[in-house]
Amino acid sequence: MSQELTKPKLKLAVYWGAACGGCCVSVLDTHEKLLDIVAAADLVFWPIAMDIKYKDVESMPDKSIDLTLFNGAVRNSENKHMAQVLRQKSKILVAYGSCAYMGGIPGLANFFSKNEIFKRAYEETESTVNPEKTVPITSVQVKEGTLEIPLMFNDVFPLNQVVEVDYYIPGCPPQSERLIEVFSVISAGTNLPPAGSVVGANDKTNCDECKRKKSDKKKVKRFYRPWEIQDDKETCFIEQGVICMGPATRGGCGVRCVEGNSPCRGCYGPPQGSSDPGAKMMAAIGTMIDSNDPDEIDEIIEAIVDPAGLFYRFSLPGSILGRKVL
Amino acid sequence: MEEPRIGVYVCWCGTNISKMVDVEAVTKEVGTLPGVVLSKNYKYMCSDPGQDLIIKDIKSHNLNRVIVAACSPRIHELTFRNACEKAGINPYLFEMANIREQDSWVHTDRTEATKKAIDLVIGAIRRVRYHEPLQKRSVNVDPATLIIGGGISGMTAALEIANAGKKVYLLERTDHLGGQVARFDLTFPHLSSARQMIRPMIQRVENHPMIIVYLNTELKEVSGYIGNFKARLVFNGAEQPEITFGNIIAAVGLKPFDPSVIAEYGYGKFPDVITSLEFEDKLRAGRILTKYGKEPRNVAIIHCVGSRNKQYHEYCSRVCCMVALKFVHEIRAALPDANIFEIYADMRAYGKGHEEFYAMTTHKQIIFLMYDQQKSLPLIREAYRDDDCNMLIEMNELLSGIDIEVPVDMVILMVNMEAHDNVKEVVRTIGVSLCGNQFFIEKHPKLDPVATTTGGVFIVGTCQGPKDIPDSVAQAKAAAARILATIAQGSVPVEVTTAVVNESFCCGCQTCISVCPYSAVSFDEAKKVSVVNEVLCKGCGTCGGCCPAGAITSKHFTDRQILSEIEGIMSMSY
Repeated sequence: MSQELTKPKLKLAVYWGAACGGCCVSVLDTHEKLLDIVAAADLVFWPIAMDIKYKDVESMPDKSIDLTLFNGAVRNSENKHMAQVLRQKSKILVAYGSCAYMGGIPGLANFFSKNEIFKRAYEETESTVNPEKTVPITSVQVKEGTLEIPLMFNDVFPLNQVVEVDYYIPGCPPQSERLIEVFSVISAGTNLPPAGSVVGANDKTNCDECKRKKSDKKKVKRFYRPWEIQDDKETCFIEQGVICMGPATRGGCGVRCVEGNSPCRGCYGPPQGSSDPGAKMMAAIGTMIDSNDPDEIDEIIEAIVDPAGLFYRFSLPGSILGRKVL
Repeated sequence: MEEPRIGVYVCWCGTNISKMVDVEAVTKEVGTLPGVVLSKNYKYMCSDPGQDLIIKDIKSHNLNRVIVAACSPRIHELTFRNACEKAGINPYLFEMANIREQDSWVHTDRTEATKKAIDLVIGAIRRVRYHEPLQKRSVNVDPATLIIGGGISGMTAALEIANAGKKVYLLERTDHLGGQVARFDLTFPHLSSARQMIRPMIQRVENHPMIIVYLNTELKEVSGYIGNFKARLVFNGAEQPEITFGNIIAAVGLKPFDPSVIAEYGYGKFPDVITSLEFEDKLRAGRILTKYGKEPRNVAIIHCVGSRNKQYHEYCSRVCCMVALKFVHEIRAALPDANIFEIYADMRAYGKGHEEFYAMTTHKQIIFLMYDQQKSLPLIREAYRDDDCNMLIEMNELLSGIDIEVPVDMVILMVNMEAHDNVKEVVRTIGVSLCGNQFFIEKHPKLDPVATTTGGVFIVGTCQGPKDIPDSVAQAKAAAARILATIAQGSVPVEVTTAVVNESFCCGCQTCISVCPYSAVSFDEAKKVSVVNEVLCKGCGTCGGCCPAGAITSKHFTDRQILSEIEGIMSMSY
């Protein structure tokens, strides 16, 4: 009798913190391979697909879940609580996707304070009518009792700033093919990479796989947003004046955006040994400005719209910068 | 990584540090930090007993990291690195915290300065943990030297090196040696003949068995690095066999400023408004005559033409005042009855014998008229029909405050010295930098005035900045001495703290290649990765800073070292 059959099925959990849902969809995007996953693993917790309550998870024995894919950033007390519970219940906790890995798109909120966000969202937006200036509060007394909602933190945290993380799978969302690879390795249980590794991605950055023509002539007189120029579809985006995060971004996605004639936005995060891809990319871009005249340089830089959001699109909370200083 | 065993030494620098920093408190505060085995303070760490203290402690306490909190590393880093080496640990396992220039000298509050010293030392402690031993390296030196420019600077250096028995390739763009000096008649302040000085020198250069002179020759391309350069020369349009050499002296000189851009002076419009160099030509020909062959009765000499004027060149050309006074002597000797007007903005007579020369010249019956550069330049215009002169200079005489008209038949414009038009090509070919005025930049303005930041490349004479003959000659001899020293050694040390590319992270984006000021980074087409030539690399860190993939590390300035130091400095909350 083969060992395969005697081997107990893995217990798998998928959870979302501050997320858009795309990461959960990427798990579904494994298509028919999902059947292989459920053949090898029992899904014990997956809020998007299963009706299981938090208290059920809380009552599981410690380390009873073999693998948890935690997607989304930690934005509020609920996210934090579930991160801590799942850490306790899981043998392997994976930060799945850019938000759990680095803070992701929700992490851009770290360029503001909670109060600024509330003011904008509940008072100022063009579609808001809120003369009483009502903002969410965590607990309210009604005649039936006390209603509670989670507390929104001032900061967005990547998962590893809240609990210890075993592995990181980058991507917004991660490529489903890479999830299957990682899942196979983990379910085999042998040759596991060292704890703390980024898995399901390459060592080198995207340029390594990118088929566009590159040279050392990265001198830019004007930066363009992608729609402002006619892309020649074969020259390095940066050499055409379009900022592409490819050089500072770990490969692994298959250079999908560039293959689709759109510059890399940096969702796979920095390569190993580089902690702040936004700073790295800004330093690189700084060397490409083709002028020695301070006024002209200012003008060239002015053409970069929303540099903070551009360079730190996925990485702000996990970067050295972390947030805007308040 | 081995467990760090750090020794911290806080220097009093006499009272320089101890007056403003409580060295005892610093010593005590950092003594308990992780990794610190001992912390001491001493009156002068750089003294022999101070160094001996470190050496003894390294041996008896088995220290593997050393920190000295003292002055700027520019002053004593080498001293303490050598002490570490003497005691048997790698000199790069040393770190210096600057608590003098960056602390005691610039603060007035002892409590705050002491806190800052503690922060700086903690930064050093956090950093030194990640220091790695680095090995010294050197390269052999080809004993030949390439000198670019056959003026007095280039020829002086050539003779100096050749007389020591070492080969010199002397490159000259024109068809003759001698440079600007060959155009001069007399020299100041001794009024000796420039020709009698330069002619024998040219002959010695041309006949010297160790000097190979290339006339009408341009430098096409230089490759290699200190000790091992190669060059391709182009003679009359034809490429010459490649030459190899170990050092380069750039002595490309300068060119006179073209005064036709200054409308007030009418240069090019009035035939008897001439430049100082054109006047030298007349003097050498032995006749001072106007365009129409007459001896001028009134000669004006206008100073600072294109100099000390933001519209043209802000800098002073340093020699024109004395050349103008020299002209006075020559004109007076040739034209005893002529009126001579010195129209000056300031009289600069700072050199040896210059003030005396100025004083002597004032006895030559000349009229000094001062003008205000900032207000208005003298205006030269044609004289009226019944005036007994060709031209009139309208000016406001600064000392009297009166608007005057000066009658003139000939005007000599003391033109500024400026860089050659092709200086940028030279810069690119030999890898030196230019200052804002397009002169070559020396490695250190005071302590290393003839070297450049590119190893094996020296700059002498007026390409480094306007200067007179003695200064040019002194620089030429200094550069020759520097080069002969490296030839005598046979090898030169090269930078240790270079950049390295981690090939397994390099993605081949090539951002690093064009940013390198030393052309040390190239692209390996086969491996699709960038490569740093460690001999050319000066460890400036530019490529490491701009590498978006984090694949380039600057040795001794790794991200980890720098970030740890910053974290250390920021770690105390008082």
